[in-house]
Amino acid sequence: MTVLVRLALLAAVLAVWEVAGRAANPLMAVPPSAVLPALRELLLLRSYPDLPASLLLTLREIALAYGLAVAAGLACGFALGMNRLVGRAYGPMLAALYAVPAVVWYPSLMLFFGLDAASKIAFGFLLGFFPVTLAVLAGIRQVNPQLVTVARAYGAGPVRVFASVMVPAMLFTLVGGLRTGLALSVIGVIVGEILGSKRGMGALINHAYGLLRTADYVALVLMTLVLIVGSDALASLVERRARKWSE
Amino acid sequence: MTASPRIIAIENVTKRYLTSSGPVEALHEVSLAVGEGEFCTLIGPSGCGKSTLLGMLGGLVPLDSGRVLVDGQPVTGPDPRRVATVFQDAGLFPWRTTLENVEFGLELQGVPAERRRGVATELLGPLGLRGFAGKYPRELSGGMKQRVAIGRALAIDTKILLMDEPFGALDEQTRLLMGEWLLDIWRRTKKTVIFVTHSLQEALLLSTRIAVMTARPGRIKSVLEVGMDYPRLMESGELVALRAKLWSEIREESLRAMGGRL
Repeated sequence: MTVLVRLALLAAVLAVWEVAGRAANPLMAVPPSAVLPALRELLLLRSYPDLPASLLLTLREIALAYGLAVAAGLACGFALGMNRLVGRAYGPMLAALYAVPAVVWYPSLMLFFGLDAASKIAFGFLLGFFPVTLAVLAGIRQVNPQLVTVARAYGAGPVRVFASVMVPAMLFTLVGGLRTGLALSVIGVIVGEILGSKRGMGALINHAYGLLRTADYVALVLMTLVLIVGSDALASLVERRARKWSE
Repeated sequence: MTASPRIIAIENVTKRYLTSSGPVEALHEVSLAVGEGEFCTLIGPSGCGKSTLLGMLGGLVPLDSGRVLVDGQPVTGPDPRRVATVFQDAGLFPWRTTLENVEFGLELQGVPAERRRGVATELLGPLGLRGFAGKYPRELSGGMKQRVAIGRALAIDTKILLMDEPFGALDEQTRLLMGEWLLDIWRRTKKTVIFVTHSLQEALLLSTRIAVMTARPGRIKSVLEVGMDYPRLMESGELVALRAKLWSEIREESLRAMGGRL
């Protein structure tokens, strides 16, 4: 039933898009009927033969950006969360930094890391880092101190308290943060590519858009959409399993 | 009872807490000895340090001065081979099933999975939790949760059981039934129980001895011996008289704790 309702909306949007797209200037907007052939050309590697290489590059950038964001976010979150003084001293600074729209850092990232993959990875890292760190902090606050006391009373040392109480108690929040982090790392990398790059999915989108190849542009955006929705679906699957386990 | 060997000795224990408005003395020169197999209840006004004292016995609260001996040895930290604690709100791990919660202490002691599963499963019968082995805490009633917590304490089979208001959050009827059930367990296992409560009735129905504590800073005001057989009836003349005596002792302290005014 849910699927049917969802499909109904999708069909309606496509219909409106088709009608509106036909009426509009073809340089600015194209109807779905024009996107389909463009998508076929794209998938057959006729319009953009370097699509697989671009896709692979973007995926690699995302993997690196996200991997670094998770590692640094976990380390930073636990360092701030487990030590009251450090947490009180640096927590507010972190929150303030998070409030700054991350895109303002991008020009300097390009200066530091150049126009190639490194600056995209840095930007994806920057975007993914904060939600992971903040989720660790929120998760630690969420641990019921009573449960820590219980574990200590039954003979658990610091390591066991961490593994048997803290991690399961904060797991759900943590996985939520990891999911948000992944979404933002993906966005960071792609936005980075669009803002200035010669390779990767963002560069292809930029190219198509710049040459007013609107149908190709829409087809590329759709492909990127699949990438984002796919990664998020994977993360949501992990999240659901974690919820089942931790509740 | 008084002739049984001392398994717990609390000697001149003092405890201060640092608060934002300066140090507060929670316990002042508290001394108490408990014999093996006793059911000793600590009762007193709120904030009199009952839970602090229990925490010291469990090795969770350090003392400022004095000594606490369990089995003749000073307590330096939690020792789950000698002492098991049941906390006020059950403190079950929400991600663990009934069986896994009962197994927790054994798991920490490195008991092989098969054996600890056996011990825990065998406990479910007397806990009245047969058929709930695979349930999570959120699927259990308040009384059941508390029984799981007691099962977790019984599973590590210590000589001493510390219970910090274990039935405080339950309704009166459940509470009475849980008391009967606990008595049954205690008489079968012959454990030494230190029980903290606010309820006069609970203290009188369960204990072999009742230690009344004063308002803060907590001291032992008096110790009542309850030599009656089990099961006890609240209506029996002896218990009614004891209740009156206990209440007059506690009333004074509760009044003091409230600042001398009602």
